[in-house]
Amino acid sequence: MVAQFLRLKLRLLANTFRRSPLQVFGMVLALAYGLAAAFVAVLALVALRFATVEVATSVAVSAGALIVLCFILVPLAFGVDDTLDPRAFSLYGIPTGRLATGLAITAFIGVPALVIGIISIAQVVTWSRTPLSAILAVVGAVLIIVTCTLAARVSTSIASFLLATRRAREISALVALLVIVSLSPLVALLVSIDWAKNGLAVLGSIARVAAWTPLGAAWAAPAAAASGHVGEALLELLIAVVFAALLAVAWRALVATMLVTPQRLSRERSYSGLGWFERLPDNPTGAIAARSITYWIRDARYHTAMVAIPAAPIIFVIVLAVAGVPLHALALLPLPVMCLFLSWSSHNDIAYDNTAIWLHVASNTTGRADRFGRLVPSLMLGVPLILIGAPLCAAWYGSVDVLPSLIGVSACILLAGLGLSSVISARFPYPAVRPGDSPFAQPQASGSAAGLIQSLAFFFALLIALPPVALAGLGLAFGIWWAWGALLLGLVLGLGGLFLGVKWGGRIFDARAPELLAFTLRN
Amino acid sequence: MDADSEEETVSEGTTAAVKSTSPVRTTPKPRTPRARAPRAKAKAESAKPPVEIVLQVSDLTKQFGETHAVDHISLSVPAGSIFGIVGPNGAGKTTTLSMVTGLLRPDSGTITVHGADVWSDPVKAKRNMGVLPDRLRLFDRLTGSQLLYYAGTLRGLDAATVRSRSADLAAAFGLEDSLSRLVTDYSAGMTKKIALASAMIHSPRLLVLDEPFESVDPVSAANVTEILQNYVKAGGTVVLSSHSMDLIQRICDYVAIVVAGQVLAAGTTDQVRGEGSLEDRFVELAGGRKTAEGMEWLHSFSD
Repeated sequence: MVAQFLRLKLRLLANTFRRSPLQVFGMVLALAYGLAAAFVAVLALVALRFATVEVATSVAVSAGALIVLCFILVPLAFGVDDTLDPRAFSLYGIPTGRLATGLAITAFIGVPALVIGIISIAQVVTWSRTPLSAILAVVGAVLIIVTCTLAARVSTSIASFLLATRRAREISALVALLVIVSLSPLVALLVSIDWAKNGLAVLGSIARVAAWTPLGAAWAAPAAAASGHVGEALLELLIAVVFAALLAVAWRALVATMLVTPQRLSRERSYSGLGWFERLPDNPTGAIAARSITYWIRDARYHTAMVAIPAAPIIFVIVLAVAGVPLHALALLPLPVMCLFLSWSSHNDIAYDNTAIWLHVASNTTGRADRFGRLVPSLMLGVPLILIGAPLCAAWYGSVDVLPSLIGVSACILLAGLGLSSVISARFPYPAVRPGDSPFAQPQASGSAAGLIQSLAFFFALLIALPPVALAGLGLAFGIWWAWGALLLGLVLGLGGLFLGVKWGGRIFDARAPELLAFTLRN
Repeated sequence: MDADSEEETVSEGTTAAVKSTSPVRTTPKPRTPRARAPRAKAKAESAKPPVEIVLQVSDLTKQFGETHAVDHISLSVPAGSIFGIVGPNGAGKTTTLSMVTGLLRPDSGTITVHGADVWSDPVKAKRNMGVLPDRLRLFDRLTGSQLLYYAGTLRGLDAATVRSRSADLAAAFGLEDSLSRLVTDYSAGMTKKIALASAMIHSPRLLVLDEPFESVDPVSAANVTEILQNYVKAGGTVVLSSHSMDLIQRICDYVAIVVAGQVLAAGTTDQVRGEGSLEDRFVELAGGRKTAEGMEWLHSFSD
């Protein structure tokens, strides 16, 4: 049975090389990247052999704990494609124990297991100091490999099983994004540490804590033995063994549950009334606007944009502040950046609809109604954002004189950017995350075209804003009259850009509606 | 159009049994489980001279790479009838219907709906058409009532009209309890029904329905059938595709059998099926069945 599973896994691995050359290239790249990372880790671990016990402990244990954490979290956050899902075998009537064992063993074949295997063997070199530490390092290596593989196996199944409902998937992705965003101050903190001076001390304190957690225990046991604390070493080994055993039990239980639970159903919510459709006019433009607003509220793919819009300027400001830009000058940055992201976020809106766009095609919706209706949510967020945010930022900057330029530049970026997005989403749609998928599940075919379109949308929005930005700069240098000029020029360019963009985008939509539908069908 | 144009263009010299000049049924349909009054009969007789052709498809082609998905298909669908398109998987039914509804640009050929060309005068043509595509998504983050409202307003109806029609449609399709839930949480059959309701909300002259009965339960299917039959009685026209020969034979006045992108037989249902059932005729035209030999092991059961 185990041999069969192993053959199946090897066949699956071999088949990944039978796909298109581009995918094979991606696979090879991933393999090369993984092996390069492993190689660097091996060099580091071998070098640590010649460092003091203290230094080796600090580095190996904290890095080791981080690696184990990644094995647990990465499948949860990004939802790894599970080809050997236990449910795929539910119809073959294989006893649960044998199935769980067989699938767990197949997990040891693959790039991640290979990488962790290489690293944990290199870790034996680091601790070949005393006979006991060497023996514990060998035992630890086995435990590390087992722990990482089982942990990834369990969290992959949890991701594909417990988080299988649409809402759970969307919420987990959103939580992951929030965690990443809230980690950014931590990253900034880590960047600000003077690593050359205090680095080892910081790692040392991380390692001291991690050694007693299941994440770092297997890495810490040989380290403790090398420094002569035998009791401590055995205790840490015990923690590691118990954790691995718990993972095995959890895996067995998860397989048993998954085999008998076909599908988890989410609780359904009901909504009374027509929501936003009631509040907007009953014509195509109003209906499309109401539909867009509803999607911004209900669809996780739009939520990621809404989280990213305030997060982007925060990260910008932190990075620039760390780099030493004076804080009051940074006050001018967040509002235009948020407007840029807000207008940019709708540059691939049609692809988000996927094939549902047929309704617009079949009902012969005019391009103008389609284009403008979709921009309404961004306008509804952006206009109040500018009206409230500009005075706040001006106050932070410490001068009312920048207010007109701030409004002018932001309005130009928002409005003209939306016009630009309206043209781009009709002319150059590229594959997007499908409705109901995790917002992080990138479509297979995205590739370089997507990157090019994204950067062009960004670049041109900035390009349009250049004249008012120049006037605003003159305003800072020579006085408020230039700032009023920035306001005027910004509004004219912005409104003009919006009007022309909707008109041009609408014309493209009218001419290419069936082709747009064909594009979403290919996606 | 004269009455003769009701006869389908029959390609490849296949015998479509089309010879009478009017689509009147001469024999009562045998093997009909629920004997409904033949709907089109009275209409077809009273409108003996020119019956209006609501949908005229001429010489339609579409090629995907090397494959001729639709290979010179011509159809004409008279007003007040239910027209069924049947064919094996991959025969080009969905491709044809997509081009008819303006969702897929044809390589060549013309399609007119109520006199307006779908591809040169889409405003007029699409206004007269209600569409149920197969395997395309809906805006499923909307609730059922929001989706109906959306479909109605895009078709130019005002809020009051949409509301009253939504209520009627929900009652007719048995969706009253589901209107406040998100369409994404609907079952396949319910999704089909809400899509059907959205296709009808603007009271079009022509309904083009691709697989309207797929995954719909028998009770709902009977309801939908009755809705369609009443609609046709009032002068509406339905073009639908289905895999259920029995159902097509029961409810359709006209049938076209499409195989490999070509119309192999077309005409009134009775003309096409001849002596046997529509299913027999279909299997015969679609290339016959393969008998399953050498499967005796299947009959000696393992434990």
